[in-house]
Amino acid sequence: MSESGDGHARMRLAADIGGTFTDIAGFDEDAGTVLFGKTLSTPDRLVEGIEGGVARAGAEFADAGLFLHGSTIAINTILERTGARTALITTEGFRDVYEIGRINRPDSYNLFFQKHEPLVERALRFEVGERVLASGEIERPLDDAEVAALGRRIDGLGMEAVAILFLHCYRNPEHELRAKTILEEAHPHLFVSASHELSQEYREFERTSTVVANAYIGPKVRAYIGEIDDHLKRASFTGSFLVVQSTGGLYEAEEAQRHCVRMLESGPAAGVIGTRALCAALGLENAIAFDMGGTTAKAGVIYKGEALTTGAALLGGYEKALPVQIAMMDIFEVSAGGGSIARVDEDGALHVGPQSAGAAPGPACYGLGGTEPTVTDANLLLGRLGARRFLGGEMILDEETAETAMCERVAEPLGMETIRAADGILRIATTAMSYAVKGVTTERGLDVGDFALVAYGGAGPLHASAVARELGISRVVIPRAPGLFSAFGMLFSDLRYDFVRTWFTALETAPFDEVEAVYRAMEDDGRAAIAAASVAPEEVTIKRAADMRYVGQEHAVTVDLPMDVFENRDREAIKGYFDAMHELRYGTNAPAEKAEIVSLRTTVTGVMRKPAFEIVEAGGPEPSGVALSGKRPVYFDEAGGFVDTPTYVREALLAGNRIEGPALVEEHASTTVVMPGDALEADRFGNLVIAVAGRR
Amino acid sequence: MNERPTLPTVTRVDPVVTELVRNGVMAVTEEMKTNLMRTAYNVIIYEALDFTTGLFTADGRTVSIGLGLPMFIRGMAETVKAKLAHFGDDIEPGDILVTNDSYITGSHLNHVTLSLPIFFEDELVGFSCCMAHWLDIGGVLGGMTTDIFSEGLQLPILKLQKRGVLNQDIVEIIKMNVRIEERAMGDLRAQLTAVRTGERRFLELLGRYGRDSVLGAIEDIMDKSESAARARTRTIPDGVYDAESFMDDDGIDIGKDIPIRVKVIVEGDRMTVDLSDVSDQVRGFYNSGITTGYACAQVAYKCLASPTDYPINDGSFRPLEVIIPPGRVVSAVRPAPMRWWMTFPMTVVDTVFKALAPAIPDRVIAGHHADLILATLFGISPRDRRLVIASISHVGGGWGAKMTEDGVNCTIAMNDGDTHNGPVEMIETKYPFVIDRYSLVPDSGGPGKFRGGVGAERVVRPLVDLRVTTHMDRTRCAPWGLMGGGEGAANRVSLRLEGILNDDLPNAKVISRQLKPGDQLIARGGGGGGFGPAWERPVEKVREDVRQGYVTADAARNRYGVAVDAETFSVDQRETERLRRGLSERL
Repeated sequence: MSESGDGHARMRLAADIGGTFTDIAGFDEDAGTVLFGKTLSTPDRLVEGIEGGVARAGAEFADAGLFLHGSTIAINTILERTGARTALITTEGFRDVYEIGRINRPDSYNLFFQKHEPLVERALRFEVGERVLASGEIERPLDDAEVAALGRRIDGLGMEAVAILFLHCYRNPEHELRAKTILEEAHPHLFVSASHELSQEYREFERTSTVVANAYIGPKVRAYIGEIDDHLKRASFTGSFLVVQSTGGLYEAEEAQRHCVRMLESGPAAGVIGTRALCAALGLENAIAFDMGGTTAKAGVIYKGEALTTGAALLGGYEKALPVQIAMMDIFEVSAGGGSIARVDEDGALHVGPQSAGAAPGPACYGLGGTEPTVTDANLLLGRLGARRFLGGEMILDEETAETAMCERVAEPLGMETIRAADGILRIATTAMSYAVKGVTTERGLDVGDFALVAYGGAGPLHASAVARELGISRVVIPRAPGLFSAFGMLFSDLRYDFVRTWFTALETAPFDEVEAVYRAMEDDGRAAIAAASVAPEEVTIKRAADMRYVGQEHAVTVDLPMDVFENRDREAIKGYFDAMHELRYGTNAPAEKAEIVSLRTTVTGVMRKPAFEIVEAGGPEPSGVALSGKRPVYFDEAGGFVDTPTYVREALLAGNRIEGPALVEEHASTTVVMPGDALEADRFGNLVIAVAGRR
Repeated sequence: MNERPTLPTVTRVDPVVTELVRNGVMAVTEEMKTNLMRTAYNVIIYEALDFTTGLFTADGRTVSIGLGLPMFIRGMAETVKAKLAHFGDDIEPGDILVTNDSYITGSHLNHVTLSLPIFFEDELVGFSCCMAHWLDIGGVLGGMTTDIFSEGLQLPILKLQKRGVLNQDIVEIIKMNVRIEERAMGDLRAQLTAVRTGERRFLELLGRYGRDSVLGAIEDIMDKSESAARARTRTIPDGVYDAESFMDDDGIDIGKDIPIRVKVIVEGDRMTVDLSDVSDQVRGFYNSGITTGYACAQVAYKCLASPTDYPINDGSFRPLEVIIPPGRVVSAVRPAPMRWWMTFPMTVVDTVFKALAPAIPDRVIAGHHADLILATLFGISPRDRRLVIASISHVGGGWGAKMTEDGVNCTIAMNDGDTHNGPVEMIETKYPFVIDRYSLVPDSGGPGKFRGGVGAERVVRPLVDLRVTTHMDRTRCAPWGLMGGGEGAANRVSLRLEGILNDDLPNAKVISRQLKPGDQLIARGGGGGGFGPAWERPVEKVREDVRQGYVTADAARNRYGVAVDAETFSVDQRETERLRRGLSERL
C-alpha cells in the first residue's frame, strides 16, 4: 500500500495479534539485533495494542521498511459469528448445498447431535438460472437481467456482502465473473466475492463455505486493515505493509482486504515459518513445530527443509465444522494446554480436557475462582512451575488452592496420592500432545524419530522433553522468546501465491501442452502479483505439484513435481514420483496400475531477504554463578520422586553453557524442563538445545 | 451376550494407565481407519465410509471400533468369534483370516472382513480387524435376487495368509469372480494395510506400557463402560414397552407390509430387546443375519445408555439382552438373499425408540427417514466404452424432533454414521449424468411443538442411455411423530420420462429401468417426525420457519394454525388464535 518498501529503512517489524496478547518482534538490520515487545490485546482497539507493543520493543514505525502482520481477527469473526450481513447466490437448485453439507453424522450414537451452522441463513441464499457442465461447457447461459434484479433485491435487504458460487466455475469462471461484475458495478458498496477467486478446486460445499467465509469476514477485515494502514501512515511509516497468510507466506495488505479468508491462521502458520528458519540456521532437515498455549497444542511439520501445507481445513470441531478449501499450513491441533481440566467421571475414569479453564477463571492456582485442577496446577504441584516465578513474578501462584483442587477432585476419588495424581495428569496430557504430533507425521508416513522438536508458546518448553520421550525424538530446541515465536517467525516469511485448478486427465494421455498452459496461466498470475508488490524480492521461485491417484481411486494425494518432468514431458518420472509418494503416505503402492491427475497446483514465491540470527555472547560449558538462581524440589517419576533441582535464569545463559538434567530454565513467560538424564546446551543463537535421555 | 469368558491375569490397573490405554486403543483404530480410507479404491469406502476397523480381545470381544458404519457395530466381533470357533488353536503368527459369509457378518457379501491375530511374545493377545464394502463381489448385476447364490462370491472362513505367506489361490478365485478386478485387489490391499497398522500400533502399546497393564486396562475400560451403561439404564422406569412400524414390501410381493414389532423390557439396570415378533425373513434381498438383529438392539441401546462413551467396547452392552429367534427378517438363515441388508434394521432401531417414548420422552427421538436414499445408474460410458456403475450418492433426509429441540435437517440415516455424500461436481466429472437439483424440501419436516428435520431431494438427468435401480423403502410408513407430533414426509422416488412425471410408483423400488438423455430420476429423502402438538409451537418460531422457507405459509396455517403472510411474513394474531383453537379442539 506504500510506495517505497525497498527495505532500506533499518527496521523490519512484525505484529502478531492473538486473543490475549499482542506480540511484536523487530529486526534491526544495521545492528543485527532482534527486539521483542508484548502487550495485552485490546479487543476494541487492536491498533492500540500494536502501537503499545512496538513502543515496548523500543522501536518506531518511522524507522521501519517492512511491517508484517498476522491476526486472529479473521478466524475470530467466524468463530464468534460477528461478521457482515451476507447473502449467497448459487446455481439454481443448489442454494441448500451450504446447509446440507456432507450430511455425515460423526457423533453417530448421539440422538442430540447438531450439524454445522451456516454463516448465511436460508432466507438470504438465492439462486439464479445458469449451468456450466463438468467439461466447462455452458449448458444454460446466465441471464444478466436476472442477476441485476437479484442484486437490487439483496441491496434492498441491507446486505453488506455477497458470495457467489456457481457449479464447475473452476473449469469455466465466466458466469461467476460476470455476476460479480454486474453486482459490483451496480452496488459498489457491497463486498462481493466469487468462489473461483479463492478456490479452483471441485467440491461445491467446501467451495461455498470458503467463499461465504470470505464474504462474511470481508467488510470487517477490510476495515481493520484499512485502519492499521491509516495508523501506519500517521506514524510516518513509508515502507510496505504485508499480511501473513495461513500458508505462512506474505501478501499485500490490499489483497488481504479482498482475499480475507487467506489470513485465517496467520499466527500459527508464522510459528512454523519461524521453525523453518531456525532449522535452516541449525542445519536441521526435519522438525516438528510444536506450539502449546493455554487451551491447545498445535503441531506443524518441517520436512526436508520445507514447511508442509495442505489444501483444506475445518474450522471448529469436526462435528460442526465449516470447511475452507484453500492452501494452509498443515497444522494438527489437540485440546491440550495449560488450562486443560482434569476430571474423574462418574465411573471413576480420569480424563484430561477437552474442557479448559481458559484465562478466566483459569487454573485453580491463579486464585481467580477456578476450583478444578488443570495441567498448570499439576506443573505447580510437581515443582516445575515456581509459584513466585510465573510471568517473571508478576503473578503469584497459589499452591494451596492447586493442592486442594487436585486432592479433592482427582486424588481422593481415585484413591491416589496428590502428587501421583498430578504426575498422572501430565502423562495423560503428554500422550494427547504426542497424538497431535503423530497426526502430522505418522499419518503422512513420516518417521517421527527422525525429527527434532522445536517447542514454543507459553507452555511448550514445559512439556517438550516429555513429549519428545513419548515420540522417540532425540533432540528438542527451545528458541529464544518462545512466547513470541510466531511474531518472530513473520520476520522470515516470503511473498507467496498458491494456486490450484481441478483439471482431469489420465496420465498416460495427458496433453502436456495443455497442462503446461494451465500451470503457466496460474504462474503468470503469481508473477504478476509479485511484480506488483510493494517490495522487491531477491528472486521468484516456482514449485509445481499435482493431485494424483490410481485410476478408480477417489482420494488423491498431492505429489511435488520438479520442473524438469514437464520440460522433458516425462510421464514415467511423474508416475514414479506418485508411486513413491503413495508408498510414503500409505505404506503401499501399485506401480503396475495406471494413474490420473485430478488437480494441478503451483506455488509462486517471492523470496525475501532474511534477517540473520542474532549471535549471543559465548561462555564456557559451566553457566555463570549469576545464571544459577536457586534450587527447589521437583517431582520426576523417572527419578522416583522429588529431586532437588537447580533453576537457571535464561537471560543469563551464554552460548556453550551446558546443564545436565534435572534442571529448570526460567524466563519471563516460560519455563524449560530439563528432565533427568537430558543434557542441555545453549547454542550460539541463544536456543536451548536438549539431547533427550536414552534416545539415539 | 452376557457370558464373560475368563482371561488370565487381570490385575487392577492404575487409573492413569487406564486412561493412557483408552486413548491409545482409540488412536490405533483411528489410524487404521485413516489408512483404509485413504488407500481404498472405491467411493463406497472412501466417501461413504462403509467400513469398520477394530481391535478385539483374544476371545473376540470388542476393545475399540473406529468410527465407521454403526449398523456393523456387532458384525466384526461375531466374525472374530466365528473364526476362533472355526480354527481353534490353529491360529498362528503371520495368519490373516478372511470371510464374507453373510450369515456370520449379518450383512451382504460385499462386506469382506479380515482379522489379523496379534501375538505378543508368542501369546495371542487380540485381533486387528477390518471390514470394507467392495464395490462388486460378482452375482446378478442390478437386479433382484432371491437367494444368496445369485448375490456373488461366498468366501467361507479361510486363511488368506498363513504364517506370513499369502494364499494366491484365494486371490485368483476372487479375481475371476468379480467384475472390476483391479478395484477389488486395490481394496484388498487397503484392508491388508489397515490390519497390519492395527497390529503394529497395538504391539507398540503393549511394549510401551507392558502386557499386564494394557490387557488389565482394557478389562477396566470395559467394566467402567458396563457400570456407566447400567447406571443410565437404571434411570429408565421398569416396564414392558412395545411399538410397531412396517416396511413397504420385499420388492417381490409389491405393497405387502412387512411388520416390525419390538418389545422392550426394562428391569432395574438391565434391558431386554425382544425381536421375536419382527417379520419372518422375506423373499426379496432385504434380509439381514442374526448378527445384525443384535446390532439393532445394540445401536438403540448405545444411543440411550452410552451415546458419547468411547471407545465403543463390549462392556457397554453387557446390561443388554436380545431375544431373537432365527428366521426373522433381521436374523435370516441360509439361503435368504441379503444384498440390501441395511435398510430394514434402521427402522427396527427407530421402533425401539418409539416403544420407549412413554417411559423416557426426554431421551428418545421421533422417527427419521431411515433409508440410504440411493440409486444406482449403469450403462456403457461413451468415453471409453466401459461399464459404468455409478451411485447418485446418499441424499440424506430429516431426523426426528425431540422433547427439547427440533429435528436436524437433511443428514445421513442411522445406518451410516460418518458417511459423506458425494459432491455433485465430483460425481458429474466422473459419470455421464447431470444433477439438476440438490435441495431441501419445504414442509417435509413433521409438524410439532418441535418440528421434524426437513428432508431433501436430488434430481438426476442422464446424458446418455442409462438404467436405474433403487431399493428405497418407507414410502408408506412415514417417519412418525411422538407425543402428538405429526409425521414427516415419507421417502419417495419419481421418474420424469419423456417430459412426463411418473409420481405414483407403487413403492420406491425400481429395477433396471431405462432412462434416456433428458429423463429425470427424483430421489427424495423424507423428513423427521415432530414432537408434541404443532399448535403448541411458538408462533414466532413458525413465522421464522416460513421466512426461511422450511415451512410454507399454507402449511403454517393448516398444520400449525398460524396465519403468516407469505410475502411480508407478518402474523395475523386473531386469525392465528382462531386457527389454533380449531386445531386443538379437533383432537
